[in-house]
Amino acid sequence: MKKRTLTRREFLAASGGALADVSALGLAGCGGGSGSGSLNILAGKSTSFPTEQEDWFKQLGKQLQEKAGSKLEWDFYDSAETEQQKLQTAMTSGTGPDVFILGSTFVPTAQATNGFRELSGADWKKAGGKSRIFERQLTMAGVSPDKLITVPFVMRPFGMVYNTDLFEKAGLSGPPKTWTEFVEYAKEMTDPSQNVYGAEMDPADSYDPWKILWTFTRQMGGDYVSKDLKTAQFTSEEVEAAVRFWFDWATKHRIVDPNSMTWEATDALTAFANGKVGMLIMITSNIDPTLQDSKVKGKYEYAPMPTISYRMEAIPAGGEPTPSIVSGDYLGVADYSDAQDAALQLINIMTDYQNQLDYFEAVGDLPCNTKAVEELARKNETVETFTESERNATPTPFTGAFGPIELVMGSVTSKLGSKIATNSFSPSDIEEQLKRANEEAQAQLDKAQR
Amino acid sequence: MSAQPAPEASTARRKRRSGRADGDRPMWLLWPRVVVVLLIVAVPFLIAVYTSFLSVDQYTLRQWVGAPWVGFDNYVAALAGSNVLSISALGSLGISVAFSVLTTLIITPVGILAALTVNTDFRGRALLRSLYLVPYVIPTFVTALLWRMMFLPQTGLINRFLAAIGLADVNTYWLVGAKSFWAMTITETWAVWAFIYIMVLAGLQSIPVEQYEVAELDGATSWEKLTRVVLPQLRGLIALAVLLSTLFHFNNFTLPFVMFGTPPPTPVTVLPLNIYLTSFNLFDFSLGSAMSVITLLIMLVPGFFYLRMLRLGEVTSR
Repeated sequence: MKKRTLTRREFLAASGGALADVSALGLAGCGGGSGSGSLNILAGKSTSFPTEQEDWFKQLGKQLQEKAGSKLEWDFYDSAETEQQKLQTAMTSGTGPDVFILGSTFVPTAQATNGFRELSGADWKKAGGKSRIFERQLTMAGVSPDKLITVPFVMRPFGMVYNTDLFEKAGLSGPPKTWTEFVEYAKEMTDPSQNVYGAEMDPADSYDPWKILWTFTRQMGGDYVSKDLKTAQFTSEEVEAAVRFWFDWATKHRIVDPNSMTWEATDALTAFANGKVGMLIMITSNIDPTLQDSKVKGKYEYAPMPTISYRMEAIPAGGEPTPSIVSGDYLGVADYSDAQDAALQLINIMTDYQNQLDYFEAVGDLPCNTKAVEELARKNETVETFTESERNATPTPFTGAFGPIELVMGSVTSKLGSKIATNSFSPSDIEEQLKRANEEAQAQLDKAQR
Repeated sequence: MSAQPAPEASTARRKRRSGRADGDRPMWLLWPRVVVVLLIVAVPFLIAVYTSFLSVDQYTLRQWVGAPWVGFDNYVAALAGSNVLSISALGSLGISVAFSVLTTLIITPVGILAALTVNTDFRGRALLRSLYLVPYVIPTFVTALLWRMMFLPQTGLINRFLAAIGLADVNTYWLVGAKSFWAMTITETWAVWAFIYIMVLAGLQSIPVEQYEVAELDGATSWEKLTRVVLPQLRGLIALAVLLSTLFHFNNFTLPFVMFGTPPPTPVTVLPLNIYLTSFNLFDFSLGSAMSVITLLIMLVPGFFYLRMLRLGEVTSR
């Protein structure tokens, strides 16, 4: 048999390819993580104001250069999924950003990895001090007050927005303070012939359902997880009542669009922006640019979400008002970083009064610097509304299992929504789904105990 | 018998002494590439196999090398266990196989017919060929978003059209329940049918015109030309296209992820999506690794046939 020889074309392709591969490998070894004299930060991208956000970081870079002699580099993630992947990659490889900006419900997972610097008293001093930080935000900065791993950066409290035109037409004077009022008001506004509904649901969303149901549960005195973080409580009376109440909006009270069983948060927002929904809950002030550019411009107002459960007169024992979950972004220093001092200085700069005000002007996120946010609240009613929500916000259970638990509840609502949509729902489905969910949640909590 | 060595033998000896000869290229230059491919493919695979026998989660991620050893527990959980998505790896495998085989079965005759329509020259052929490619060149996430909007109840184009022709209710749900599988399949079919079309068209262009002329002289009808001249020559190419198409659909993560979000409805929880959610949302990296290894072993079967086809092609061409 004739021996196979390499043709000239194959030779050139292989040589060029080999050279490219070796170069790529070499260059990859040079990249990743900060080099000497530079600091790398990973932040969530502002989809509404990306240019303004970049400009703010450039200003920050100049200040860091002056104060610490370090160059600032930044990288963005555009979704919670990307945030998690980048964090996991960094933790596994031991290289990556020096500073992470983490969502509040992701801080417990970050702490579970043991990959972040636990901030001592001296560290807090370098970072600007705890006293200037909005106190409520500190409840999600670490597993306990003496084991904080992050510094609060911005607040993103939740509230509701209502259509003032629809309120006026229905003869309603102001936003509801209880969930009983909420349902009554929604019924007054609902007109299926016009495709207008008093409320909305988004059971197919990845994030909203667990927050909404946890809010209802806490207001009734319950929780997804026991106080000692060891036992799942999905089969408790409060959680079942919370789930039943929410899905009653579709099946019993009929105050939501029947088609909303497949909705995600963006679909619900679109319906509100088109004037088809009277009240939209579990929103942050970040939706304002969208509403300013919509049919409801000038016809909406923000309010805190109701705090008293359906058919109750007051918050029961063990319950909390929970107008919002403690929500926002937090700054953590990776303990593999070789620029931790510079990182703390950066955090100091990012959380100082003026830079926090500038960041609010740039992208609309509320400051965690108390002086800055109180000044804004004095001048701006919307800021005041959301700040008040956050003042009474309730922190979610601080366990590394909470991330998976969110998915567990998301799976419950997605399946129940699917059953309602396909006319195969029966009230006993709620108990069945929660029983299965409880087993999954308990498995996650057991892992956290090991 | 000649005392002189044959010219070829002396050439071969010179080649062995110097490592190169006229017309030959040094094979050792391929080694860097082989090493890099081993690093990029073999090392991650070995790491995946290793982690599949451990318990790596958010708590043990930093010291994953020394994570607790659990043996085959992850494989048992992958095959037999249900998770928060209410479906095991085996269940997701079934969905992935059904999805990929069904899509391929639909797009194959469509792609062949489309290629035949633009094989002969006519006015506007170039435009039609370009139009055929439009779905294929649109990025998958854009396709997923567009079709998600089209499948929305009441407001979506699909329901409005079906309701207008009396075939379905305008409030039909396509994005939840059993119909979600069909929504995913229809979208995928629309997006990738042109793959078969491209492959077959390339094959059609290589059939000599004389063969058509000879067939015509013999009195063959169009159908006979198609079945006795064209398709036999495209058999190998179509088989290859079908195989690659099935593999491609099986590994499609972007479409169900973007179209249905997380957690997805059970009927569209394909294996890649299940692995992703297990690893990155439930933080069970070991279980995700076990599911990935199982996927790879399954993919070796069509992969084996693919390689066999390539080797047969080489033998045929010598």
